[in-house]
Amino acid sequence: MRKLLPLVLVLLGLALGQGDKLKACFIYVGPIGDAGWTYAHDLGRKKAEAALPWLETRYVESVPEAQALPVIDRFVKEGCQVIFATSFGYMEAVLEGAKKYPNVIFAHATGIKRAPNVATYMADFYQVYYLNGLAAGALSKTGKVGYVAAFPIPEVKRHINAFTLGVRAVNPKAQVLVRWINAWYDPAKAREATEALLAQGADVFAFTEDTPTVIQTAAKKGAYSFGHYTPMLKFAPNHVVSGQIVHWDVIYIDFLKRVKEGVYTAKNLENVDYFWLLQHKAVEMGADYGVPINPKHVPLLQKAQMTVGGKKVSVYDRIMALMKDMQSPKPTFDPFTGPIQDRKGMVRIPAGKKATLQELLSMEWAAPGVVGDWPGEPK
Amino acid sequence: MEEALLRAVLFGTPILLASLGALLSERAGVVNLGVEGMMALSALAAFAVAQEAGPALGALAGVGVGMFLGLFLGVFTVSLRANQFVAGLAVAALGLGASGLLGKRYEGVPLAHPLPEEGFALLALGLALALHYLLLGSRFGLYLRSVGENPRAADLFGVNVDGVRYGALGLGGGLVGLAGAYLSLAYRPSWTDGMTSGLGWVAIALVILAAWQPLRAVFGAYFFGLLFFLQFRLQGSVPIPSEAFAAMPYLLVILVLSLSGRTRAPKALGVPFERGR
Repeated sequence: MRKLLPLVLVLLGLALGQGDKLKACFIYVGPIGDAGWTYAHDLGRKKAEAALPWLETRYVESVPEAQALPVIDRFVKEGCQVIFATSFGYMEAVLEGAKKYPNVIFAHATGIKRAPNVATYMADFYQVYYLNGLAAGALSKTGKVGYVAAFPIPEVKRHINAFTLGVRAVNPKAQVLVRWINAWYDPAKAREATEALLAQGADVFAFTEDTPTVIQTAAKKGAYSFGHYTPMLKFAPNHVVSGQIVHWDVIYIDFLKRVKEGVYTAKNLENVDYFWLLQHKAVEMGADYGVPINPKHVPLLQKAQMTVGGKKVSVYDRIMALMKDMQSPKPTFDPFTGPIQDRKGMVRIPAGKKATLQELLSMEWAAPGVVGDWPGEPK
Repeated sequence: MEEALLRAVLFGTPILLASLGALLSERAGVVNLGVEGMMALSALAAFAVAQEAGPALGALAGVGVGMFLGLFLGVFTVSLRANQFVAGLAVAALGLGASGLLGKRYEGVPLAHPLPEEGFALLALGLALALHYLLLGSRFGLYLRSVGENPRAADLFGVNVDGVRYGALGLGGGLVGLAGAYLSLAYRPSWTDGMTSGLGWVAIALVILAAWQPLRAVFGAYFFGLLFFLQFRLQGSVPIPSEAFAAMPYLLVILVLSLSGRTRAPKALGVPFERGR
């Protein structure tokens, strides 16, 4: 009997541990894939699971919007206590599911509607896009920077605008040529859109879509590029300058800890909205993790000059200074600080004012320097 | 302008190759709706082998997997006389699903040694000419067409109908496989789930629009490639919304090819052949 005691204790411990686990379940809109949105969320899920011993996770990938509610039903049946829905299009399903299961906690990425048991969250890149815009403006010889964009929605427009403001801060005459591919994932469209921009003289590239296609295509012609969502340095080690990298795990871990501690419950999420930026470490500027700028391109950026407040500074120093500021707990700089006019000359952000969260989330106007079709542009 | 023509050819190439593959089996009377899935699985096989053993063997692996899937489709459509449309769709779904499942560990890795797109483009053009000759100028072509038009008569003249159909599916599958290899070894060069992004379906439609003629498929594929490129080249410089532009390649190809002549499908297309009935 005495010999069995440790075994019994271990089993008891396991059983208790099991009962104490928090089960979080993820609904993904796409396949986990190689580099894009869903891949990044899944990376976040894995990191959260590794960091939180009491966490158990499950996921379903490639869930069409219409299928989200059945997946929620299934998750609840399987005992999920927290459900993360990782696409804007799941909004209706999440709100309906939240009503149906008032004791389950929901969190909706990029969402705009909340409920007592529905929080929203987003890791936003606009500051990083601005910093990369500074580098792009310094590196372009033709003054034409290419931008391959998925859909003309406020989120993407905000990113293009921030990027363009950065480009123009270095080179006030530069243009950002935008091409919409109307798809999050379509390598052929991304490829041909990049080819079209190359043919028009673009020599530096940024993008918002879910593949490294732009980088691979640009590198073939010797053009610089900036990665998106995950580190993309390996796809063109000589041409990827930097990029936007997300850390969903930071948000997932914070959220789940608060659920575990009982701070967040299925009754008090009405005002829980994560809009996390550089200062929260939810996003990073980088060609790779911990590599803000590809060392191969640092000398070029150190040599390039820009004017800030009447003084000449190197673009590299400016990027590093602003990054440090925006990573600090109380940033003083924001890319969307007035006076900012749109490309039609209308004042969008008055002098001395910063864009409010609401203004950021509903941005439809185009910054000066943006060239190309802009669906939904205010008259 | 030169740029646009180059893109027309280089983006038209995978569509052309896949079209030629589907065209070959359709000429023998077997519809192949599995193209999308066959391309996806071939693209994966080509990529996986290329990473281990070099791009040349990778391309061969793509062709091999395409041929295998063509023959696999033959088991159902030729030997078991299943409904060709259903069997083809099943192969499409199978190929897409299997490639997504098996390809997980190849995702997010750039190809070490990509192949030049121009080489594939020349090869595709050569294959189109060869296929044209094969179909219209050779004895095998005569058998193949007779099997597609009137298998009973062909059978009476001693042609092995099932054998010819298997041959057409195998060779056609190889061409589709080459299209897949082009995507993962040259055009993209990397592998992701769903990277064929519907090009297989475009290829199938092109067979009909090209009236089952290899040389017209060349024209159609390049024309589609040109328009696909132009939607981005012209976006913003002409006052047409980008969404409308995106539909342009499909609409214009249909329009031009349907105006360019009479279309007649092989008579026995889609009809399983059963001997002695």
